Amino acid sequence: MNDLILILALTALGYFAGTWAEKRHYRSIREREKQLLHIPAITMKDIPYPNGEIRSSRLVEGSAVISIDYFKRLLAGLRNIFGGTIISYESLLDRARREALLRMKESAPDAAVIINVRIETSAIGKYSAKRNIGCIEALAYGTAIELNKQ
Amino acid sequence: MENSGEHSSVKTVSGQNIVITNVETIPGKRIVEHFGLVSGSTIRAKHIGRDLMASLKNIVGGELKGYTQLLSESRDQATRRMVRQAVDLGANAVVNVRFSTSSVAQGAAELYAYGTAVRVE
Amino acid sequence: MNYTPKLPEHNHNVTPVSPLRELLVLLGGLLAIIVIVYLLLGLGADLLVSHISPATEQKMAAVFSSRFSPHNKPTPREKWLQSIVNTMQEKGCVDLPYQVTVQVADSKVINAVALPGGRIMVFSGLLNIIRSENEMAFILGHELGHFENRDHLRGLGRGLVFAFISTLMGSSDGSIARLVARMAQVTESGFSRSQEEAADAFGLRMMNCVYGHVGGATDFFIHMPKDLDPGHIGHYFASHPENKKRIQALLVLQQKMAYQSGPLTPLPVWQKDSEE
Repeated sequence: MNDLILILALTALGYFAGTWAEKRHYRSIREREKQLLHIPAITMKDIPYPNGEIRSSRLVEGSAVISIDYFKRLLAGLRNIFGGTIISYESLLDRARREALLRMKESAPDAAVIINVRIETSAIGKYSAKRNIGCIEALAYGTAIELNKQ
Repeated sequence: MENSGEHSSVKTVSGQNIVITNVETIPGKRIVEHFGLVSGSTIRAKHIGRDLMASLKNIVGGELKGYTQLLSESRDQATRRMVRQAVDLGANAVVNVRFSTSSVAQGAAELYAYGTAVRVE
Repeated sequence: MNYTPKLPEHNHNVTPVSPLRELLVLLGGLLAIIVIVYLLLGLGADLLVSHISPATEQKMAAVFSSRFSPHNKPTPREKWLQSIVNTMQEKGCVDLPYQVTVQVADSKVINAVALPGGRIMVFSGLLNIIRSENEMAFILGHELGHFENRDHLRGLGRGLVFAFISTLMGSSDGSIARLVARMAQVTESGFSRSQEEAADAFGLRMMNCVYGHVGGATDFFIHMPKDLDPGHIGHYFASHPENKKRIQALLVLQQKMAYQSGPLTPLPVWQKDSEE
């Protein structure tokens, strides 16, 4: 009986706290994406640079480790039994990658463009290999190009 | 999508052809405008029966058909999602696309596709 | 090549489904699958049970015997309990193809169990709360009822099914496995409740057969300490039906079968002593 109550309590806590945290995170992501929209991040190497010489180019990166809440982990575990899209993990991955991209852009606020962007995702944590511990790291890196001011 | 020279295309809901390549350009066409990074991701699992079969198959080795199917389905879905985002932005091609896979949850395939949304003439 | 700054309107990477709805759908599906598998396999186990001969049962029992090592010499308590069971079997109240043996295990647990191989295990915690021989006879009759209905083997079959399901689910998340275990347990307790009721009725018949009356049958449930009474909250999880309900059911049955009430046979002197 006790373990059932514990599961229910953790699930409820995970649901409310997790939903709240996710909403807050998404709000912040959308806001910052708008602010940093002027820096394009692209996967290409060669693009003609608009009017001006290149002042500097350097490697920039951003990473974020985000964990899933108990409720969504339970949901993912259940989905694993039936198969299909694990909906509860989608927002986790989406948040981690967008956050990593944002942090990459934030580390180069003066860049005109970030080229050759690559994004890596990996599951980290002690139990990640054995159990469904939803703790993922997203890493975004690229080359930031700064131009001389005209 | 596999051959770098040829470009494959994905039809969107509106019937528009979106060209996808994994090179910097679309050979024979000129890129006029770009919209930055677009990405699509998905995470899918097979039902527990398949997982069980796969673990049995693991004893003798060989292709795990169920998982091959799972991964190609996931890749398709991730690509579709990326294309939908590109269409939203007004692009008609996605260039320099990269795929990446990671194991986030056991028995689940996590696929990520990303590229640069562009408009070609 | 110009850059057009633009943000997508929709997030295509997240399926717009309410997580609560997803949870309900998944849990519902899981429950349905568990119940179906459990019913099917449990039914299979029940069918098998009717084909297990007493000889095979003895062989199976050997596995258990090694765990509950029998004493070399029966204690006075065991002799007394054995004599009650023997009377029941000798008087022809119960028709079992083998001789049932009673064993006492030192434990605070207030319970008695029917084990494969015709063995009844009585825990000393139970012996400490009973106040008459009739009370004890009802409990032993109840356990004999389990043998008569072959519930002890059924329980074993379902136990195996349960273990199988847990192993299957064990490969996924730990909390999922716990959840599944709970669900299966709830289903299980539903089965065993009907078995307990049947065994109660059997115990009552035993008493009437041996003593000619059923006085003291419900005493055990009254003497049972209050904290063991599952009460209303634990109702569904309790495999032994709520005490009050059990008493009620026994009284109704007593009236229906026109069983008489009668004087109680006191406990042997040594048994009384051990109470203190």
